[in-house]
This record gives sequence, C-alpha cells and structure tokens, in this order.
Amino acid sequence: MRGVDDVALQAEIRARGLALSLLEIRQIAERLGRDPSIVECHAFDSQWSEHCSYKSSRHFLKRLPTEGPTVMQGPQEDAGIVHLGEWQGERYGIVIAHESHNHPSQVVPFEGAATGVGGIVRDVLCMGARVIALADPLRFGPLEDPHSRYVAQGVVDGIAAYGNAIGVPNIAGDVYFHEGFRDNCLVNVVALGLIKESEIIHSVAPAGSAGWDIVLVGKATDRSGFGGAAFSSLVLDEADAESNKSAVQVPDPFLKNVIMRASYHAFEAIRELGLTVGFKDLGAGGIMGCTAELAASGGFGARIDLDTCPTTQPDLPAAVIAVGETQERLAWVVPPSFTPRLLEIYNEEFSLPMIARGAQAAVIGTVTTEKEYVLTRRGVEVMRVPIDFLAGGIRYDRPYDLPKPRLGFPTHGTSLIKDAFRQARGEDRELKVMRVETRAEEISPDELEAEVIRETPLVSSLFERDLAFRVLAHGDVCSRRPIYERFDSVVRGTTSMQCGYADAGVVVPIPGSPLGVALSVDHNPRYAEVNPELAAEHAVCEAVRNVVAVGARPAGLTDCLNFGNPENPADFGAFVASLDGIARAARELSVPFVSGNVSLYNQSAAGHSIPPSAIIACVGSIADVSRTVTPGFKRVGSAIYYIGRLGRAIGGSVLAALGGRDPRILPKIDYEEVRRQNAIVLDGIASGTILAVHDVSDGGIFVAAAEMAFATQAGARIGAALFRGEEDPFEPCAPAYETAFFGEHGGFLVEATTDFKNVLRSHGDIFEYAIVMYGYTTAEYELSTNGLEGDPRARIETYSVDELYEAWSAPLRNFYEELPQ
Amino acid sequence: MSKRVGILIFPGTNSEEETLRACRAVGLDSELVHWNADFDAVRAFDAYVLPGGFAYEDRVRAGAIAAHDRLMLAVREGAAAGKLVLGICNGAQVVLESGLAPGLDGATNAQAGFTRNAPLGKYRSTHVYVKLSIPPERCAITAALKPGAVIPAWASHGEGRLAAHSATLGRIAREGFLAFTYCDANGDVTPEAIPNGSALGAAAITNERGNVLAIMPHPERDAWTFMHHDASREQARGDASAMLATSGGIALFESLAKALAR
Repeated sequence: MRGVDDVALQAEIRARGLALSLLEIRQIAERLGRDPSIVECHAFDSQWSEHCSYKSSRHFLKRLPTEGPTVMQGPQEDAGIVHLGEWQGERYGIVIAHESHNHPSQVVPFEGAATGVGGIVRDVLCMGARVIALADPLRFGPLEDPHSRYVAQGVVDGIAAYGNAIGVPNIAGDVYFHEGFRDNCLVNVVALGLIKESEIIHSVAPAGSAGWDIVLVGKATDRSGFGGAAFSSLVLDEADAESNKSAVQVPDPFLKNVIMRASYHAFEAIRELGLTVGFKDLGAGGIMGCTAELAASGGFGARIDLDTCPTTQPDLPAAVIAVGETQERLAWVVPPSFTPRLLEIYNEEFSLPMIARGAQAAVIGTVTTEKEYVLTRRGVEVMRVPIDFLAGGIRYDRPYDLPKPRLGFPTHGTSLIKDAFRQARGEDRELKVMRVETRAEEISPDELEAEVIRETPLVSSLFERDLAFRVLAHGDVCSRRPIYERFDSVVRGTTSMQCGYADAGVVVPIPGSPLGVALSVDHNPRYAEVNPELAAEHAVCEAVRNVVAVGARPAGLTDCLNFGNPENPADFGAFVASLDGIARAARELSVPFVSGNVSLYNQSAAGHSIPPSAIIACVGSIADVSRTVTPGFKRVGSAIYYIGRLGRAIGGSVLAALGGRDPRILPKIDYEEVRRQNAIVLDGIASGTILAVHDVSDGGIFVAAAEMAFATQAGARIGAALFRGEEDPFEPCAPAYETAFFGEHGGFLVEATTDFKNVLRSHGDIFEYAIVMYGYTTAEYELSTNGLEGDPRARIETYSVDELYEAWSAPLRNFYEELPQ
Repeated sequence: MSKRVGILIFPGTNSEEETLRACRAVGLDSELVHWNADFDAVRAFDAYVLPGGFAYEDRVRAGAIAAHDRLMLAVREGAAAGKLVLGICNGAQVVLESGLAPGLDGATNAQAGFTRNAPLGKYRSTHVYVKLSIPPERCAITAALKPGAVIPAWASHGEGRLAAHSATLGRIAREGFLAFTYCDANGDVTPEAIPNGSALGAAAITNERGNVLAIMPHPERDAWTFMHHDASREQARGDASAMLATSGGIALFESLAKALAR
C-alpha cells in the first residue's frame, strides 16, 4: 500500500469491500510502519466507521447536557442510567439505551428490525440489568407505496417476532408515514433495564484484571453480518441491495431468550461472590470491536486466539471471525477462578449447546498489560496494533451549512385581539376580520411572517364539519392499534399502561413496590421539514410532556439522531442545528441526556435524504403508581381545561398537511410556559384533582378530546369560549376556530374536578394561563364543539363518537393488505 | 405439608416470572423448574403450571416439541395420577399437543389443537374477558369460581384458535370440556369478543377427569389492580396498597390454591 498510487490503492480498497478512505488507510500504514494485514484492514474499517467511531459527530455531542441529580451514569458506555427511587433500602436505577437499525431494515425489513431489538437488549443486559421494556419509534414511506408498505409490514413483524419471543414488553413507540422515508425507513429501538445501584456491571476490564479471562458467550460465529458497521455508514444504493444483504445479521430470539436468563443467573453468582467483572455486548466490529473496547477502556491490551472462538464451520477466514457481526453474543472479563462457574451456568445449567448449534460460552483470550491488541490464528499473529490507536477512532471536522433560520410564530401577544374580543362579547356588534398589528419586540420584521399574519384571519366561522374526520383519518393521527397489537405489551406482568393506551408506557418493575417507570418517544418529521432545529426542540418538549401526562417526573433523555449524508454540508448543518435544539430544550427543562446514538447516511443513491430526525425518548420516574392518570374521560359533568397557549402558527401540523393553509411557520416554544404547564399538570395529578390528561400534539385539541372520549366511550363538549380573568378579560388571543381546534400548540387537555382551580391558583393567577378552550364531559356519547360566545357565525357542531372512532380506526385496519407491486 | 407447585420452564418460555408471582400471591408453595432439572425432583411436585412463551421456538407447531420434552413425562404421569395441571397460553398449547386435554374416551393423543389465529394468521396481543362455561366443580381448578364467572385476561398469541374434527368439537361443547369462552366485559358471549377465530369461541379446555385446564389467554397479566383498564383502577387512585393488590385474573389462581388446599 505504501508506494502504491492513489488510483491503484482506491481500486484495491474497493475490491476488498472496505469503506475506509484513502487517507485513512495511509494514516494506518504510517502509524504501523508497515502495510496493514487483511484482518487489520477489516478491523480498522469497522472500528473507524461512522457507526462505531462517530467520527463526524462525536465532538458535537459534547454540547448536550448530561448532568443532573437524576443521573446515575451518564453517556460513557452502551447505555445510561437514571435514578428511579429507593425501595427496601436499595437505590434503583433505570438503564436506557437507544439505537437505530435503519439501513438493515430498509434492505431486509424483518431481519433488520429483529436484530435491532436484539442489539439494544444486549446493551441493557451488559450493564447487569433486567430488561424491562422496549419502545419503537418507526418512520416509513407512504403506505400507498407498495414498497414502503412491504418495508413497514416486515419491520413490524420483525420487531414482534423478536421482542415477543424474548419476553420483554413493548410499551411505547410512534409511527409516521412520510414521503421522506420512502428510500430510507427509520427503525429506532429503545430498551430499559432495572438495576440496583450497588450491582451495576461496567463494560470495562476492571482494575487489576491483567491476566483475566475473556469469555465469549452466545451463538457460534458464522458468515452473517460481515461488514455491517461499514455498510451502515454508506449511502444505500438500490443496485447494491442484494450484495448488502449479507451484511445484515441473522436474529435468533429463541437463543437470546435463554442467554438473557442464563446471564441473570450469572449476575446472581457474581453478586454472591462480590466480584467486579466486565461485560459487554458484541455489536459492530464483532469480537474485535467488543474485546478491544473492553480492554482499552480499562487501560489494558488484549490477546485473542481466534482458534478458540466457536464457529459454525472450520475454515472461516480470520477476518470474518474477528469482525463478523454474528448476533446473540456477549463477552465477559472475569478472574480465572470464576471462569469454570461461568462456563457451567451457560453451558450446563442453561445448556446453550443444546439450544443452538455451536452456541456456548468459551474462553477466547486474555487481558494483557501491554497496550497492544493482538489476534492470533493457527499460531500466527494476524493482527497487532496499538489498542488506543484502534479504539480511539478518528475525527472529521466536516463543513456544514446551518439551515436557513425560519421563524416560530409568537404564541400570544397581539393587541388587536382585544377588539376582536369586545366584538365577540357584543360590545361592538360589527364583527370583522382585523388588520393585524403586533408588538414589535415579539415579531421579527421578516417578510414571510408578515405575509402569514396578513393571511391568517383572527376570527372565522367554525370549520367545515368534514375537517374533523379528515384530521382523525390522517396517517399521522389515526389509530395505531393494528400495529401495536402485534407487540406483546404485557409479558412480565408489570405493565400498567400499554402502547397506545396513554401518552407514555408505564411499567411497575419491582414486585410489591409502588415505584413506576414511564417511557415515551417523540419527533415530528412534518415539523423537521419546516425547521429542523425547532422540530428537535419540540421533540424534547413533547417527549417530556408525554411522561408528565401520566404523572411521572422526567428523569432522563436519550436521542437517536437520524440524518442524511454528513459529507453534504446541508445535511450536516441540519444535524448540528438539531443537536443545538435538543441541547437547548434539555437545558431549559432540566432533563439530562444519559445515552444516545447517531445514524448518518440515511440517504438514497438518488440523493434524497430523510427529513432530519432527532428522535427523543424520555424516561420518567413514578414514586407511587397509584398516583398516575390515564387519558380516558372518567366522569360525567366534570370540567375540561386546555393547559396551554393557543397560537396561530400551524406550520408542520396535520391541518397544514391537509392543504390550503400556510405551512411555513412552526409554533414557537416559550420554555417558561412549558415548565409551568408541566408543573400544573404534575400538581394536579398528585393532588387527585386531575382525572384524565392527554397531551395536545398531532391533530390538536380536537383529536386529544376525541381520543379521551374513545378510551372510555364517553362524551364531551369543548368550546372556543374565551374566558379570562376579571381584570383583563381580553388578553391575549382569539385564533381562528380551526386553528384553535386543530392547531398543534402543545400543552395538555385535562379533565379536572372543581378543586383543580386551587392548583391553578397555586401557580399564580388562575386566569393567567391561556385556558381559552374549555368544556365539560357529557352523558351523551357525542363530541360537540362550539365557538365564541356572542359570535353570530359560530354554531354548535355535534359528532357521534362512534362516527369519529370509525374515521380514526379505519385507515390502518388493513395494514397487512397487500398492494399490487 | 403444603402442596408444592412446579412452574415448568422449557427453552423459550417467557412468562415464568409473572406466573410464579401469581402463584405465590395466592399462597402457593411454588418454584421454577428448568428443562434440565433432576427428573425425580420434577416428579415430586403436587401440581404443575405450564407458563406462556415460545417453547422450542414454536418449531413445527406451537407446543409440538415441548410436548415431547422429558419434563412432560413427569406431567403426564402426574396428570394420570390426578395431579392438577394448568397450562397457560404456550402451556395450553403444550397440554393439547400432549393429549392431556380433552382426552375424549380416555385418549392420550392430541385430539384438538390451538392453531394459527384467524383471519390474519398473526400474533396478536389484546385485552379480553373469558367466562366460565362449565359448572365450576366440573374442573378442580375452577371449582372455587362462581358459576358463569367472568375473568379479565390478555390474549397474547399467534396460535390460539381451537381447531379439531367437527365431531370432536361437538363433543367438547356438549360434554363439558369447554371450560371458558371469550366474552365481552358484561359477560355476553359475542362473535366480536373472540380475538382469534377460535372454534366454539373457546378460550380454555379441560379434560375428562377435570384435573387439567388449558387456557389460552393470560389471567396473570391482568391480576393486579394497576394492570386494569376498568373503573377498579380509578377507585384505587391515591391508594398504593389497593393499586398493588391482586384482583381480576387472580381469581383463577385463587381457585387453584383452594383446590390444592383440599
């Protein structure tokens, strides 16, 4: 390689199927002082891939806030840990891991999605935790497109096949169908684990572990998944789809089921002996990636004898054994005195060799004091490199163009609304659409914004009746039940709220203890198309809001940053801006990030990148599960409040997606307001004065009310009657009715008792909040809407809840119906 | 001496923890038993519970391989001697594959099976209610339930549709082998309440002697108040001990415990 010209070397690299760049390979040769061996080429190819090294993104990730009183372990290993609470004198933590399996799922949907679940479960398991919950944020192309539908079906089936078999409840998730994911679906997976703080196991060779055994556990190594890490760092080319399939791993949930249970048993044995050990899952880079990182992070080297690694066939090339990504494997670093017991647990008590051909636990190497990573095959060294050079990866400072700043629309503060209100109250009989004048300090002089303002009427007559049905039947709003029912949400007997039942999933993971864990995932691709940065902030706000909506305190966040090609400055600019967005939102709401994942190159060969997707998961802690709330309306005749502030910006909303309305401006976020809304809801739930809560997101207040009615087959009337404090009844806004009912301004819709007013008072003046939508639950199984009191054009519109339910539940009912290709 | 219950784990079983918790919650002396446990120790139990999951990966058919596992020799022997056997979900599939139920005319082969769901042919997890459709004392495990008792549960399976020769189905229905049928929250047996196309709307089958019960939906997954979706959850609001108390699906386990206390 040294002395070979660029053209010849480039040809050589491609011929070997490597993704390393010319520059990288020359850097390696220079550092080693010789040409790297074939095994070494593949090792660096994997270890220095974007997937493993985060070479483009790592330095930006430092912008995220990662500290806070809830953090038990920040984002340095495969998973982070947040504090859950104390029970019987023990401090419990929740392990959170979040990953993507986008590229494999696009190529082979079933296997790709299944192995995604498998990988994330190992990340949690290797912290010494019990795996207690899963969630899946999914993004597909439009269902009318046969291939997108095929991908969606395969992904859902793959998640079901794997998650159901291993016995971990799937409690949360979201699904969006969007043109931008036609060529690149997104399959993100979140897993949670339960652990006592005193029993955390680290993915590090512990202090003093020189000479300890490295034990490989799991499936025998085969040819599957060779080159997976490098593959997922490439742009997907349809023509290569066939050849890329060999880079996808083969799932075996049946074996994983047994490995998980055997590992729980091993944890007990380790705790009884009081040992400190290292445990890490094998993911990208296979045996090499895992053992090199285990040893390097402890300040050691490692020596692995590839001949002792169990394989399915005797003649596998050294490079395949070293970096192949065969699934269902983990590696331990344990003192030799414990090794026989460990092997006994896996190989005899749980009889791994009987479960799958060649599966077993085997000693494959040793931790060394020399800081070299060495692989031998048939007595010959096939790899010897400085371990820190290998594991340290590289860094790229890629150029980026930040997305053109677009504006959030001010959510309140227009002065002329007063007049509109007076008119509505009959003080001025002549009702007319107002010319808009705005407070200078809140409004940018931007042309676009002015235009939108001019075009948005302040008060219009009630929306067309049909609009309600169109919004409920929209792909991003309609019932996901046909998908969620494919997942086992109740195995383990700890689930309190399932997928689709509430805004967040809730499990009660410690038998006998009232401690609960809430989990939600969020990000809206429609928002991201308008403004990636603000969309990212909204994702954090909404994930947090969803956890709050069940009565949990937000404890920690994870991100999965799914973006296009980082070598394209526009794509990379969206990444940088989104990262800034989630960092800002997390700081403002005081919820730290404890783990995360970056998935780049989500771009088709034709150059289409996905909508920037900073998908956020939020974990909340519940001190007492008896103080949680579900979304269904509970009683007849109780009050319904909107805890939020209505605005006129409808950019990114379902309403805008239905057409005919200006989609260009997203609702702005007022963090002071978001914090206050969250605090009001948490207080209302804790005091028992809130009976039901649903967050207001896709489809707005109308959809929130409808879903609350569906849950318990109840009825309600909601109105745009603006009532305010007595001193100033006219502040602050009167948006168009359709914007009021279907705009996506965040906040919560709550059903509350009369004592809830005391909660509102404790947060300031009861009327200080923009409770401009209100209503009450009814005995009739109907949902009705009415307009401003005194507005002659407003009329009461009544819908049968059954009719609405049908519109909402029909679209995905035939999810599995095949379309002609 | 209290009767001991063995909860049997095959490779691929996944519901052992909640099943053990439900058994212990009703005071049963229960423990988990591994597929490669000592055979005489397995035989020593007084009753067996076969929990849910995917034993042997559901290869061939759900329950088909596990029915031939060594553990099942002990279960067959025990059932023949009158020991109680409760199979839930995958455990129910194993029971039918083993021929432990219905066992018409003393047969020991499989006469009926829980087969692939209709119409989709896919795994589905949904909340259901089941209604006792035999006199309670007809089956020892249901003897302490009220006549026509309605129990909440989760149907979480891909193969739960009862299928058999039409003559066999007729006898299952007429001769008291149909232990539970799917119903709605009010206890009304309706076609819409059947989540999987099961013949006879069958959710559970017993045997001639009434010491074996094979039930597809999981009562243990709706056996604590915090799991419920109905008004009982709202009534427990703010009361942690009420929210963490057993209720609903636990009734079947309570009945099992009473049978074993006799």
